[in-house]
Amino acid sequence: MSTRGWLSGLLAVLLWLVNSLVFADGTSQSTHVIFPSASFHTKPQGAVLSVYGALNRQAITPLFKAYQNKYPDVSIHYTEANTRYLYEQFLSQPTSRPDVMLSPAMDLQFKLANDGYALAYESPSLEGLPQDSHWRHELFGFTYEPIVTAINTDILAAETMPQSREQLLNLIRNKNHLLDDKIGLFDIQRSGLGYLAWAYDGQQSRSYGRLLEAFGTHQARLYTDTSAMLNALLKGHIFIAYNLVGAYSYQWSQQYPWIKTLMPTDYTTIIRRTAFISRDAQQPILAKRFIDLLLSPEGQHILANQSGITPISTQVNGPYSRDELSKLPHGIFRPIPLGLELLIQTDDAKKRLIYHEWDNAMLSAPNPVPSMP
Amino acid sequence: MTKSTASIRRQLILMVATVLIVINAVALWSAHIYANRTAKESYDRLLYGSALQMAENITILDSQVFIDLPVSAFETLALSTADRAFYAILNGQYQVLTGYKDLPNIPFTQLLQQSREKEKFLPIYYEAIYRGERVRFVALGKRLLEADSVNDVFIIVGQTLDARRVSATEISQMALQFVTLFFFITLLLLFFVIWRVLQPLQAIKQAITERSPQELSPLETNVPSEIAPLLKSINYFMAQLDNTLSRLKRFTAEAAHQIRTPLAGLNSQAQNAIDETDEVLRQKQLQHILESSNVLADTVNQLLNRATLTHRYQSHPFSPVSLDHVIKETCRELVVWALERQVEIEYVGDIQVTINGDEFALKQMLQNIIENAIKYSPKGGTVEVALMLTNELSEASILLQIRDQGVGVPDQDKEHIFEYFYRSPDNFASGSGIGLSIAKDVAEHHEARFHLKDNQPTGLIVEVIFPQRKGLSYEH
Repeated sequence: MSTRGWLSGLLAVLLWLVNSLVFADGTSQSTHVIFPSASFHTKPQGAVLSVYGALNRQAITPLFKAYQNKYPDVSIHYTEANTRYLYEQFLSQPTSRPDVMLSPAMDLQFKLANDGYALAYESPSLEGLPQDSHWRHELFGFTYEPIVTAINTDILAAETMPQSREQLLNLIRNKNHLLDDKIGLFDIQRSGLGYLAWAYDGQQSRSYGRLLEAFGTHQARLYTDTSAMLNALLKGHIFIAYNLVGAYSYQWSQQYPWIKTLMPTDYTTIIRRTAFISRDAQQPILAKRFIDLLLSPEGQHILANQSGITPISTQVNGPYSRDELSKLPHGIFRPIPLGLELLIQTDDAKKRLIYHEWDNAMLSAPNPVPSMP
Repeated sequence: MTKSTASIRRQLILMVATVLIVINAVALWSAHIYANRTAKESYDRLLYGSALQMAENITILDSQVFIDLPVSAFETLALSTADRAFYAILNGQYQVLTGYKDLPNIPFTQLLQQSREKEKFLPIYYEAIYRGERVRFVALGKRLLEADSVNDVFIIVGQTLDARRVSATEISQMALQFVTLFFFITLLLLFFVIWRVLQPLQAIKQAITERSPQELSPLETNVPSEIAPLLKSINYFMAQLDNTLSRLKRFTAEAAHQIRTPLAGLNSQAQNAIDETDEVLRQKQLQHILESSNVLADTVNQLLNRATLTHRYQSHPFSPVSLDHVIKETCRELVVWALERQVEIEYVGDIQVTINGDEFALKQMLQNIIENAIKYSPKGGTVEVALMLTNELSEASILLQIRDQGVGVPDQDKEHIFEYFYRSPDNFASGSGIGLSIAKDVAEHHEARFHLKDNQPTGLIVEVIFPQRKGLSYEH
């Protein structure tokens, strides 16, 4: 790393700290990070690329670095938040929309694109990617991530590690009260990704109903973000975390051997994080360059090696490449289609039905545990 | 030929190409219309299918409408991968139960009408601009029955038009490719056919080119029936040419003979005169030589005249000529020569006529006819020259008659008298035998009719009838 790059890195961290202090007032659900341009100290009013994303800072930073290596005069303002919060923020703040929106909540992203908020762009980088990695050149899928279940092996004792949803149900049944209040789930009413994965399960599997029943009787805890859930798992507050995004879970498994990640062998849901350029982008050209980088072999390589996220490209190598992913035990990969099928996930009537079922199951629990911050 | 006419080949190709282009343009246009209709119909069906699937999953329980939309409805829509889609489900009070809340132009009146008629709901298709794009919608009603209440719900499903456009373009392009291929193949075939059709003309040209200039026998090339008349014309023309050429050859041979015979006679007479000692006889022989050379000079003059006339026909355009004036002048010139032969010339005519013609040629004609008449007149005879108007033919014409009182010409000779160097077997008068044929040539050149009649009691009438032309004056 050059001195200049190092300096700007340091500056970025400083600024992030400042911003975190400013915005971390407890009520804010978002974090703002500024990645200043290399020429920031001489030209603080330079071009700014504004990005909304649900990707955590460690994962996104290598991408921004690569971008700023190419375009050193561009500062990047990154707003990180929960997917539903980002979606609502995007709709409610028409004057300050970001240039690029990144989110794993495919349904919400799709809804925005279908409703005409996305700018079509025929990125040359799409050439090396699978056919279905974009919709109308408006919505670009850039990752290929399994939805997994993480288990704190302390609960297993003599039991073998479950591999499928069926075996997971057996485990819950066998451990029974040991698992009361010890199962972690995404709150589907507050997490876009949680709802997406849960609703997709509803379309796919017959075990869905029994899972919901089991979660309800054992008073599952509800979370809105992954790291809180993984923390709880690590500390033994919960033993089973269902429907997590693979990338984070695998990282924790590597760090903490008693946390095991499994891709259910009956079927493994695949989500694709998507990106789109806002139609109201202030910097559409900078945004297009960012999409180009994100989908290019270079960007995909960064995801597979530095960000720890499986990229959509089948061409790149690295510890988190698709090649490596398919070597792990897994079920049939069922990617959530990137298309009009996603509209059903945004349907209000459907949502009410699923919430209704969910509430019925969860409210049977005597003491619903408030979600961790 | 100074004016170049267009080539048949080029005209044919041009016409055929024009027709082909028009046909192909029409074909393309109809293919385009067909493509659009097909795309529209097939995608409308998808839209309708999707709406039906949604309708099937709407139920009512305790006056509560339950909507559990199936994924398949959206999967159906997703078949057009590049299109945005919108939907809404409304209750009978037009409240949006789920889906997009602000869909435009919903055909409430039509839906209401269908609802009132209590019959099966039919899909209503319409287009509207929604969220910045043209969208095709289908509206479908569903009747929900429960115990004694009837509730209607309305399903609206819409999709943008990209897939239709792509599909229509695809079909159109296939048609374009086919039509282009068809166009070029047809054009090639037509080029071949045109070449094939024009081949016989080429063959005729080839056959004519390969001939020697003297060869005038009919062409024997095989040609299709359409070209046969042309070949026939060429052959007819060649036959005419052949005829003319052989006549010319005969004439030349005859002329040479006619000149050689008097020359031989002159030669022998001159030889005799040299040998003759008797002054009186010698005088007589010299007289004969003189007469013979006169006849010869006469013949040569006539031949020259003819050559001159032939030349004039080609080089001198007609001009107005006062016919009566020319006749009178000619008679005047010949009157002394006639009197030497004790023959009188009498001009009978009181009209003045102007015709379009060649004065020199007409004079030559008159001279030849009158000289001929004088020659064959008995001593003390009269040659009458008459000019009058006649209505003998269907229209008014000018009649010229030269009448003599000689022996006349027997009918069998009348046909031959115009042939060059023809002399009646019992004709003893001196003459070249060419004069009358020249006269007839001149008359025909003026489009006049020329014929012979018998005079009463004896003699010959030569009649020349000029047609009366507009714009030329004559008066009594």
